[in-house]
Amino acid sequence: MAEARTDRLPVAGQQTAPIRSGRGLLALGIVGLLLIAVGPWVFDTYLLNILIKSFFFAIAAITVDVLWGYTGYLTFGQSAFFGIGAYAAGLVFTHSGFSVSTVLLALGAAVLVTAAVAGLVGWLSFYRGASPFFATVISLVLPIVLTQLLLSGGAWTGSSSGLTGYESFDLSLEAWYWIAGAALVAAGLLAWMVVRSDAGRILAAIRDNESRCSYLGINASLVKIALLVATAVIAGLAGFGYGSFSGVVAPELTGFVLGTELIIWVALGGRGTLWGPLIGAVLINVATAYLSSSMPFAWQLILGVAFVLVIVLLPQGLVPLLLKPLGLGRQASNVPALAERAVSGKPVVSDKPALTMRGVTKRFGSLKVLQGIDLQANAGELLGLIGPNGAGKTTLMRCMSDGADRTSGEVELCGNDIGLLPPDACVRFGLGRKFQNANIFESLTVAECLRIAGTILEKPSLVRCDGILRLPPYALDVVRTTELDRKLNVVARDLSHGEQQALELAMVLALEPRIVLLDEPTAGLTKTERTRIGMVLSSLAHRYGLCCLLVEHDLDFVEEIATRIVVLHQGTIVMEGSFQEVVNSELVKTIYAGSTHTPKETT
Amino acid sequence: MNQAGLHLDAVTSGYKASVVLRDLSLAIAPGEAVTLLGKNGMGKSTLLKTVMGYLPKKGGTIRLGGEDITRLAPHRIARLGIAYAAQEHALFTDLSIRDNLRLGLVKESVFGERFAEIEPVFPVFKSRLKQYAGTLSGGEQKMLLLARALMMRPAVILLDEITEGLQPSVIDRLAKALLWEREQRGTTMLIIEQNVPFALKVADRFLVLKQGEIVDEGDAKVGDAPERVFSHLRV
Amino acid sequence: MVLLLDLLTTAAMLFVVTAGLMMIFGVMKIVNFAHGALLTLGGYASYVTTQLKLDPWLSWPLALIAGVMVGMVVEWLIVKPLYKRPLDAILATWGLGIVIGQLIVMGFGREVQFVDSPLSGTWSIAGVDYSAYRLLLVPVAVALCLLLTGLLNGTRFGIRTRAVIMNEALASGLGIHSGWVRFVTFSLGAGLGTLAGTMITPLSSVDPNMGMPWLVSAFMLVMVSGHSMPSLMLTCVVFGACQVLVSTYASPVLGGLTIAVLAAVTLRIRPKGFAHG
Repeated sequence: MAEARTDRLPVAGQQTAPIRSGRGLLALGIVGLLLIAVGPWVFDTYLLNILIKSFFFAIAAITVDVLWGYTGYLTFGQSAFFGIGAYAAGLVFTHSGFSVSTVLLALGAAVLVTAAVAGLVGWLSFYRGASPFFATVISLVLPIVLTQLLLSGGAWTGSSSGLTGYESFDLSLEAWYWIAGAALVAAGLLAWMVVRSDAGRILAAIRDNESRCSYLGINASLVKIALLVATAVIAGLAGFGYGSFSGVVAPELTGFVLGTELIIWVALGGRGTLWGPLIGAVLINVATAYLSSSMPFAWQLILGVAFVLVIVLLPQGLVPLLLKPLGLGRQASNVPALAERAVSGKPVVSDKPALTMRGVTKRFGSLKVLQGIDLQANAGELLGLIGPNGAGKTTLMRCMSDGADRTSGEVELCGNDIGLLPPDACVRFGLGRKFQNANIFESLTVAECLRIAGTILEKPSLVRCDGILRLPPYALDVVRTTELDRKLNVVARDLSHGEQQALELAMVLALEPRIVLLDEPTAGLTKTERTRIGMVLSSLAHRYGLCCLLVEHDLDFVEEIATRIVVLHQGTIVMEGSFQEVVNSELVKTIYAGSTHTPKETT
Repeated sequence: MNQAGLHLDAVTSGYKASVVLRDLSLAIAPGEAVTLLGKNGMGKSTLLKTVMGYLPKKGGTIRLGGEDITRLAPHRIARLGIAYAAQEHALFTDLSIRDNLRLGLVKESVFGERFAEIEPVFPVFKSRLKQYAGTLSGGEQKMLLLARALMMRPAVILLDEITEGLQPSVIDRLAKALLWEREQRGTTMLIIEQNVPFALKVADRFLVLKQGEIVDEGDAKVGDAPERVFSHLRV
Repeated sequence: MVLLLDLLTTAAMLFVVTAGLMMIFGVMKIVNFAHGALLTLGGYASYVTTQLKLDPWLSWPLALIAGVMVGMVVEWLIVKPLYKRPLDAILATWGLGIVIGQLIVMGFGREVQFVDSPLSGTWSIAGVDYSAYRLLLVPVAVALCLLLTGLLNGTRFGIRTRAVIMNEALASGLGIHSGWVRFVTFSLGAGLGTLAGTMITPLSSVDPNMGMPWLVSAFMLVMVSGHSMPSLMLTCVVFGACQVLVSTYASPVLGGLTIAVLAAVTLRIRPKGFAHG
């Protein structure tokens, strides 16, 4: 596990994550466990009944928090999966009686049907270029479709009255209470473990910056679909529990009203905290049970108003606010130790060039941005791509890194044809791309960003937080030269611009790419930072044999480090050669002077 | 004539965390035309966007005439009399020429009068007011940009590389139009350019911007001006 | 023939209900989840008119005014602060819908109510007797489409709104106050929603949840259609036709789901929907 590191001492003047040892959280957990253990002796039958149901609902609320609070997917549809689980119990027990085999059948149905439906919904909602609105609206359609199907099911599904009076597990109320409580604790712990694990940080990375994830080789769509299936199954099992306990299943359990209630509980409870929605769900359910008879309309109104106020004014939720005095701040993540990872994979020097482009063109309608680009770059080269604004340099980079971008022509990365493949596939062929604006994960720490960057090489654990962070030597160089190794615990958002640029470069290098595309790496940097980056890039090419391609405006910088210059003008490559050749050519001078006749230098 | 000067005092700005302009000070007298030259990525467009209110200032003040416009939103600054022609996405390609021209005006009623005024310099638009701006050639689009700016009767015109990608003959026409405007109304101008001869022809004074700071300035009409400028732009 | 009339009147109803949402979505790129509640509000405007024994036609201006006023307050208090958080704007407007719904329940009770129709009886078309009021909605929808298209294309306000839709930064740079445009558009869109509610009420009934079923269909239609009123009309005709055909030949339940499902699949295959590529 993590060794104590002296780096954990806060650097003067810099804000570090509050180092609460999680004591407040532990205390809360103990209180909760106690309540579950002694409940049956403390609470009356009515309250026990309510609590059991609310525990099952709380499990569903936790799944909503994982999807929305952690991954950024606003979903109204988790109630559909809850309802499927409930109806699995209701339908099987009503029509096939109650026995060991039917229980297994019902459980199996709950798991399989929720997984299948979630897979379908995931396929519909998560694809490259999907809009988050669309995913949310689909999640709203799901429960509505389900409810309608149930309502039209006639006697078989019980229609609007649902199914009642079926035989179920013969357990006492106390036993149910302990089972539901245990299930809630288990679900909560499982979610907690996954979300805090190294792999769980990928969820936050996807929420922050999905494009960057693609360019690190992570197929965000697949991750989201897998997550949806997993949470759907859990919600379905919770629903199964509910259906088995209450002996009544009605279409309301699958409907969008419950779906929105789940969102409300999570929002009020505090999205992205897990314990907030848990507590919120239980408390609100209990309160609703007691208050809905005495002040039915006012209570719903209060909830609605509270919800709107929280969204507008207090997005972090009410429960964290109320419990703040108890010291429940953000937990510091363990700071890992840095270690070197031997560069894996095929030897860098191979017979195929790092990049080959043949006849590449790009058109926007009738506008030709790139025409007939033929370019080759080899390992160990550092190509400077220069040209006036609008020449097409960034478009060229995009065509190299995303198979779907170009209109025609072929692009090969390390001998592999990228065809129409998306960026995450190009990354697997050996591409690394650094963007002009620091494209990082703003809410994650430096260490977490770096670890996620290495995902395709070292799969992060779904369970643990690894105490060691392994990086290839050149990435380590960048981290050490820019002193990011003293700031591993700092949230990326709080870094200076130069540090963010360095972090992004280190992340790209952690991929062990064979070809690195850099878009204006010196933009906004100070002179010292610029020199440092220059040295790093030189060593990448000359010492480690990577192929680097940079778009730059700062020609002094390019002169220092480039082995070859390529000049792009109005979508075509007009010249290639050494820096001296290019700079002294008449053609290039004309292009940069901006007019189409050679300017008179003497009047 | 509603002339006004433009004053920047120790302005610092940039995008998100980065700083592009550092402590930049610049004064343009009422009626003066200044051209800002420099290689790409040096902060020229950023300067115009900062003046127009699109980028928050991290320090310094900007004054139009006597009025402090540092904290104002772009539409307020436009109404106070600054016409800005951006380098990209500066026209509504799905709207007609007429619509593009009249969107800058406060009152519809003056359209006829103002259009008649600029017509001698922009004869090509008169019979094509209903044509969609997206179907115009590159040169015509830039002419339209300028026409729109002139019709707003601004106190200050900001131009971002208006000659980019144009043929010499069109560039000549643009220069003529700008000189005509200066003669007619003495409008203050800040012209960002890569095309040095054009810039020096139209402006009174030139400034060279490098890495977000002004490194040289001088009279545009003096003989050695082109040489001095080229020495900074040397590839 | 009856089928054809069903088709036309359904398309008309869909258009009327969706027009307001479209205005808001087009300009502000957010989906106003309070739309369902606004529809319900319009329904209750009809109810109030009936209770006060006023001329039923009066419910139309009454609804429009009520909707615009509510829209103004909502834009100012809720939508504007959430301009940079579009998903949260969806949630907040949803919450608002709940609040409005609850207030309605507190004011009017939960029961289903019926309202007087401004136009009763049937008309005879090509030998078929069909509900007059329902038929009336067709020219009303067409008139609304023409009116809104005229507003957006012909008036000064309209062109400024379209400018903001196309390129907000450029519009600002020309002196157009985009915040104001958004405010007016939202209020107008809200008013249209309430007006739609009052228009469709005589055809069914009024209850606190009447707006809900329309909500999802309206969203899907807005997401699929292009960015102009005529393209919305086209979308409503196509999808409305599908809904009617499925309802008639398969089952009404499946019919109710048709729009949502079809739209989802359309968008998945062609993310731009019916808009020009």
